[in-house]
Amino acid sequence: MTDYANPSDLPADLQGAVIDLLLRLADDELIMGHRNSEWTGLGPILEEDIAFSSMAQDEMGHAQAYYQLIHELGGDDPDTLAFSRGPRQYRCAALVSLPNERDWAFCMMRQFLYDMAETVRLAALEHSSFTPLAQLARKLRGEEKYHLMHGRSWVLRLGNSTDDAQARLQAALNKAYAYALGLFEPTGADETLVQAGICPHEDDLRSQWESAVAPVLADARLEVPAHAKPVYGGRVGRHPDALKELLDGMQVVYQIDPTAKW
Amino acid sequence: MTDTQWPIFEVFHQQARGEPHVYVGSVHAPDAEMALLLAKEQYARRQACVNIWVVPADAITASKYEDDDIFERGTDKSYRESWGYVTPKTVRRSDQETESTS
Repeated sequence: MTDYANPSDLPADLQGAVIDLLLRLADDELIMGHRNSEWTGLGPILEEDIAFSSMAQDEMGHAQAYYQLIHELGGDDPDTLAFSRGPRQYRCAALVSLPNERDWAFCMMRQFLYDMAETVRLAALEHSSFTPLAQLARKLRGEEKYHLMHGRSWVLRLGNSTDDAQARLQAALNKAYAYALGLFEPTGADETLVQAGICPHEDDLRSQWESAVAPVLADARLEVPAHAKPVYGGRVGRHPDALKELLDGMQVVYQIDPTAKW
Repeated sequence: MTDTQWPIFEVFHQQARGEPHVYVGSVHAPDAEMALLLAKEQYARRQACVNIWVVPADAITASKYEDDDIFERGTDKSYRESWGYVTPKTVRRSDQETESTS
């Protein structure tokens, strides 16, 4: 299979599909990072507050790296992509848009489910035929590994703590699971991307993810919701209203003067 | 005031393999594994790091400050230092720097 060593090596008919993939990766990271940053100052304990805020910055850094790659493929620059698109142009899964609602159990569960998906996806992208993406995946691996260790630790501890904590965590899983499945929403770009060796099929990633999260959830005394119906729509720009509220807040300063130099 | 948070773990940070682990501070954590995860972000997010140790604070036995006079030197202990010795001329050349500062 052909490897594409540089952004300029991608044939025109592949470029749109790759940009679509990168937008999904970037938007997931940016919105997840933004949601997590809302915990800054409210974390359950100082050390966790600092750690979780730092991880939120990591996610935003990853988003910026993906946006930069889009820019190198002829797309807008990272700031324009982050601050000048409305919800319809965002490609993140609904999971990351959901409000925190000051529910630590939900946020830790979401983080765990999300980071496991990231881990599975990045491991596959390390073998992407699009070399710049493969290199980026290898670069981000360490930070994502740490994020997963963190989320997993919280899930295991809350699940094996008091009945109250366990019940809240189960409720969080019941709510988050269908949304997490939405991370693997099929898209129109899938066939093109798979055939060109850019990334594996979303269905393959989903089954890898399911087998990876199941043992941890079992160890946390949790039951995976049966027959959860994946929440799709995010990858084609249909989002919960919460995303619009988030973007309004995130973009307000930039939109006062998009040409301002920072 | 009593500390009502999680137990304290003391954190030791290693900058490179082979270097000593250096004490950098402490974290509250419910257990050692969580202490490692939290210590990473508190103490290794800026400076280089290859390894962290965490030790339950109550596992450390410390001397008492009221007994700090035990560390005072009652008599001349210069025999414990290299500068406390007169070096023969034949080897002095290699030891000149020490000689000139003593």
